[in-house]
Amino acid sequence: MKTICEQSHDLTIGRRSFGTSIAAGLNAAALLHLFGDDLRATEQRGSPDLRSRPTHFSAKAKSVIHLFMNGGPSQMDLFDPKVELDRHHGEAYFSKIAGEVENVADAGALMRSPFKFAQHGECGMWVSNALPHLTRHVDDIALIRSLHTTNITHEPALYIIQTGQMPSGYPTLGSWVVYGLGSESQNLPAYVVLDDPLGLPINGVENWHAGFLPPIYQGTRFRSVGSPVLNLRPEVADSPEIARLQRDLLSRLDRLHQRQRPAQPNLDARIASYELAARMQMSATDALDLSQETAQTQALYGIGSPPTDSYGRRCLIARRLVERGVRFVQLFINAQIWDNHTGLATDMKAACDRTDLPIAGLLQDLKQRGLLDETLIIWGGEFGRLPIAQLPKDKDERKAGRDHNKNAACCWFAGGGVRGGTTYGATDDLGFAAVENRVSVPDYHATILHLLGLNHEELFVNEHGLKEKLTGVQPARVVREIMA
Amino acid sequence: MSCWHHTLVRVLVVLGFVTGAVSAGEAQKERVSFEADLQPLLKAKCFRCHGAEVRKGELSLHTAAGIRKGSESGAVVVPGDSAKSRLFELVHKREMPPEKKEALSDREVDLVRRWIDGGATMGKEVAPNKLEVSQHDVIPIVLLRCTACHGRQKQEAGLDLRTRSAMLKGGKSGPVFVPGKPDESLLLKRIRAEEMPPRSRLTEVSVKPMEAEELSKLTRWIELGAPEAVEEPEVAGTATDPLVRAEDRDFWSFQPPQAVTAPNVKHADRVRNSIDAFVLQKLEEKGLSLSPEADRLTLIRRAAFDLTGLPPEPAEVEAFLADRADDAYEKLIDRLLASARYGERWGRHWLDVAGYADCEGRREQHLPRPFAWRYRDYVIRSFNADKPYDRFLQEQFAGDDLADYEHAAEITQELEDNLVATAFLRMAPDPTWANLTGFVPDRLEVMADVIDVIGSGVMGLTMKCARCHSHKFDPIPQRDYYRLVAIFKGAYDEHDWLKPELISYGGAMSAGFGERYLPHVTTAERTRRERLLDEINALKAGPQSPDVEKRFKELEAQRGPEPRIMALWDRGDPSPTYIYRRGDHNIAGSLVSPGPPAVLCRPSNPKRERGRAFPDAPDSGTESREASALADASSYWARPPFAGAKSTGRRLAFARWLTRADHPLTARVMVNRVWKHHFGVGLVRSVGNFGKTGDRPTHPELLDWLAREFVQRGWSLKALHRTIMTSNTYRQRSLVKAEHEQLDPDNRLLSRMPMRRMEAESLRDTLLLVAGQLNETRFGPADAVQVRADGLVLSGKRRSVYVQQLRKHPASLLESFDLPAMNPNCLQRSESLVAPQALHLMNDAGVRELAGQFADRVLREAGADPQQQVQHVYAIALSRPASGDEQDACVQSLERLTDEWSRPSSAGAVSRTDAARRALATVCHTLMNSATFLYVD
Repeated sequence: MKTICEQSHDLTIGRRSFGTSIAAGLNAAALLHLFGDDLRATEQRGSPDLRSRPTHFSAKAKSVIHLFMNGGPSQMDLFDPKVELDRHHGEAYFSKIAGEVENVADAGALMRSPFKFAQHGECGMWVSNALPHLTRHVDDIALIRSLHTTNITHEPALYIIQTGQMPSGYPTLGSWVVYGLGSESQNLPAYVVLDDPLGLPINGVENWHAGFLPPIYQGTRFRSVGSPVLNLRPEVADSPEIARLQRDLLSRLDRLHQRQRPAQPNLDARIASYELAARMQMSATDALDLSQETAQTQALYGIGSPPTDSYGRRCLIARRLVERGVRFVQLFINAQIWDNHTGLATDMKAACDRTDLPIAGLLQDLKQRGLLDETLIIWGGEFGRLPIAQLPKDKDERKAGRDHNKNAACCWFAGGGVRGGTTYGATDDLGFAAVENRVSVPDYHATILHLLGLNHEELFVNEHGLKEKLTGVQPARVVREIMA
Repeated sequence: MSCWHHTLVRVLVVLGFVTGAVSAGEAQKERVSFEADLQPLLKAKCFRCHGAEVRKGELSLHTAAGIRKGSESGAVVVPGDSAKSRLFELVHKREMPPEKKEALSDREVDLVRRWIDGGATMGKEVAPNKLEVSQHDVIPIVLLRCTACHGRQKQEAGLDLRTRSAMLKGGKSGPVFVPGKPDESLLLKRIRAEEMPPRSRLTEVSVKPMEAEELSKLTRWIELGAPEAVEEPEVAGTATDPLVRAEDRDFWSFQPPQAVTAPNVKHADRVRNSIDAFVLQKLEEKGLSLSPEADRLTLIRRAAFDLTGLPPEPAEVEAFLADRADDAYEKLIDRLLASARYGERWGRHWLDVAGYADCEGRREQHLPRPFAWRYRDYVIRSFNADKPYDRFLQEQFAGDDLADYEHAAEITQELEDNLVATAFLRMAPDPTWANLTGFVPDRLEVMADVIDVIGSGVMGLTMKCARCHSHKFDPIPQRDYYRLVAIFKGAYDEHDWLKPELISYGGAMSAGFGERYLPHVTTAERTRRERLLDEINALKAGPQSPDVEKRFKELEAQRGPEPRIMALWDRGDPSPTYIYRRGDHNIAGSLVSPGPPAVLCRPSNPKRERGRAFPDAPDSGTESREASALADASSYWARPPFAGAKSTGRRLAFARWLTRADHPLTARVMVNRVWKHHFGVGLVRSVGNFGKTGDRPTHPELLDWLAREFVQRGWSLKALHRTIMTSNTYRQRSLVKAEHEQLDPDNRLLSRMPMRRMEAESLRDTLLLVAGQLNETRFGPADAVQVRADGLVLSGKRRSVYVQQLRKHPASLLESFDLPAMNPNCLQRSESLVAPQALHLMNDAGVRELAGQFADRVLREAGADPQQQVQHVYAIALSRPASGDEQDACVQSLERLTDEWSRPSSAGAVSRTDAARRALATVCHTLMNSATFLYVD
């Protein structure tokens, strides 16, 4: 599609960004029009913006909630049952995969899952008993069992799953999406990150960085406690009258300045950005006010109960944000609760206990509000785990976990455009590597973009003479088999 | 980026179907003759780019051997399997030949398919005498899997496996192989038994086990008697270089800057120097002229921000206004250039190019770089001293080769600077061994970043595109990327990587000394430190008292950590460099030798010389520092830089080649960068890409004139600033007139000066300066940032260039205003205009505090009269008087705000004086948010 392709990563002051010059002294309501949906990206040459822009082709999903499971959830303990692993439990296997193991000193034998699997829903999807709540929604879910990546270390693997590239400095998925589609809300950031109050994930803010895209496409962190955005309000607020006097003076000075400088669109945009800041103060506060929700809704997300409260709040905030037109919401959990090198039976179960009910609640709530059809839910981490055990220092097998595995991982999609009840792809008998209908990270990214109406080949930016894309130079296939 | 692998794989899928539809019998029905059918077709359609003369993508199809050899990405023909043959895929998809009108007909495509499926026989042509397997197939495998413990650094069991002869010499257990007898070869026995590489040590040395395919190649080589091929490494710039054609060098940026004379123009009265003539010529073509000169107050503010990153002090403004001499403005420029603030401003621009950071990156724990600041200081000092740019580059590329530091009796400042400068090559984030491991791909990423910084930042070439395949648009074969990599191999060798020992510096772990750090600080600094140590020891030994204790603590604080220099140095004897096919280190291709890109070298054969491309000596009468230097392929000549040096001298040879007076790119890229910082946009808009996909210069003659002027004036940056800033072009006002909108809407013709927003550092530093809070202490260790629990990163009161640059925790104020993330560097900052900027300036407690301090300063200096106060606020913050309207607006607001603050509130009554102070603080804060403050005309 032409409009997006023509956006050049060219940040010189755009002279034609807003058509003809806007007369000084325009009121705020008229300036709002600058950010309305009427102007298309075709006119965009200079200053990057977040105006909503057309998709490449029609699509159901309008927004994304990305439930990022940092650490690398274990596929054969959640979604990919392996009978052979039960049969060969305890057998040596390390030497066959030595090059694929990160912590070679701790490598143990093949290890069966401590969890029990059963089929669920009309589709009969296999899910382990670690995720009892999700099982109610399997008919809305398309599960991919054959995702694979290219690095077994967290940091580079995170860069790969978030940006498609191993080196740091590339734009993340969310940045590409808002670069391509802009935002439906002009009062809230287009790309919101809900990180865990307990701490940042590995790679920190690089997980939502815009890379070489303009910084307005970067994720904005909303804190779920306290002020949602940095400096959203002054630490010590002035009286409303003083605040008004200050705004009036600023507005007077800026218009005096602008009157002497006609045809400088940046000055118009700057005035508008102050108006937007004021609106954002209202909207962001409102979006995060969970007291507007009924007790029943809060309970649906597990708000108020210790293990689920924190993640439940973020899931509910995510719903409130997409309701308000935020394009891309990304949820993180502190550090790496899915990085179960040891204590698989206990620690991974704890990770499930924190997230399972809130996610089930989110799916149910979106569905009953009719929002699920236009929201794409993505669940997954940066890689999977190995079929062999990783032993703790004391070599106690009861406390064993699993090491990183780049060759197989699970992820699932739900919502707009997704064919619920699908199980796609397969791993080998031991769950070590994806072997059937393999889905690479570029395939995964191309599929997400497709579900949002974007063609991964046509969403690019000219950077240093290169046509940079989320899928890079690697071949990428849209996994249509999971689509409705 | 269009990449053909991409297409190929998709095509493969399609082809599986297509070829399946053809019956096997049909394929055999009609046998294709190589000589009669295929060769004429290839000749007609392919030889122009893949023949004897030209070998694009390193592919030549004119001989059977060439077809067998394939391209830089590997085989193009798989006999018997057209579906897996790149040649068929590309002609079938009509991607080759690239010209649509030359596309093969269906019949011709089918011919190719049948020839391949029929076994791709090559007729009578004799099989090439290339060895099936040679040492060049084996050595890359051994380097990858074995030499970490049996190589240059370590010879475990007395064994070095880097060459065939070393293998035969063997170690404690004798020769590692017996030619012709694989089963008796120790090397193969140990590998087959999975004893080597030892599985328990894979992480420690960051080596992966050998792949089965590699083992069979090694076995086959030994089986054949370990034959050695005599193959010259690939070089560039030879008389008949098949990868770069003579006409490729015709492109404007690959030719040395041309001698040009300033044109005659109609508005000759507006010409102050040649810049104006070049600019006016283009403007007059459109019926435009230069805008009138800006007023003096605008000029001084503009010039001060441009050169120092700060507004002029009120006293400077008064002095300038009072100076009625004709050259008052020129003297102002000289004063600003002489200011110590100049290096802080322009050094920062260079730090963007280098990708400066006070930590490594790419891992959760970003290892600190406790001594990176020495490089930052070196850059600032170099700019202030107007160090010639050629010398500046030579030091940064090869300072360790410039003089013998290891045996010097005294480490002078110059010797130290030579080493400190090489940190330029260490600025790429280096994640190796930040966690447990440092595998080859991580090392290659570091090297790739270094090439990217050098390519785009210094050479204006997107070299990085050629890492995986030949450049798609510029004449940069993949070979030339790896030849550039080889230049740095003496220091960055992926098979001989220095493993840092992590050492604690003030509680934070950092890579230890000997890997990324050298101890050669100046003898003077060492002596000072030794004296300090003596004094500390004396105190320890003597009688103790509270005074002694206090003094002891003072001295300990002064002592600081053991001084080190972050540096890069050549260790000599590097691994050979092989092309990595498709950028994959597991697939080694041809051997290459170090050297610069062919397109920038004159072929050694004079027959190839083309008139315009390589003009004779620079104009007679000019003061060229390197008279009559011709860009000759032979001008890159690496040799040990001084007697007894271990170094390969490759980087020094490269630095000398790069700084030749007539280098096509070096001077152009730098003058364009300087121009960009003065005018917001470069003459070549794509400052890091002077190639075919980059922008063409808007004023090519001006660019060449500036580049030659720069070199002829001894690569002096200050002379360049002076030339640019004293031109009428620079002195124009910024007002946009109707005719500008119509005829020069994007200001590509420079019909006026662009209005520009302060850059992040200027804004922060100016806020501190006007509040009287800027701490101008220069140099030394980075001023640490504080990360608040809510994520706000606070940054102290020193100039921003001295604030700690952490990749994960950029100072919030700077980040809000587009401080770039260094991945690995930044050539063009973005200028965003978003609501969080307004939120930061309006609500941030730190900014509000500065506004209060600004108000206090105004009260102190201007007294209680509101009129005086407002004028003083404007004098400090805007270097000009307030206009009548501004004055009225501010004074009225002051009155109302004072009333409002005086109103009794729940917090209690406020005195009228205090209310007036608060009102003034609010006005100051408003000014700090205003467009007139943030934008420079």
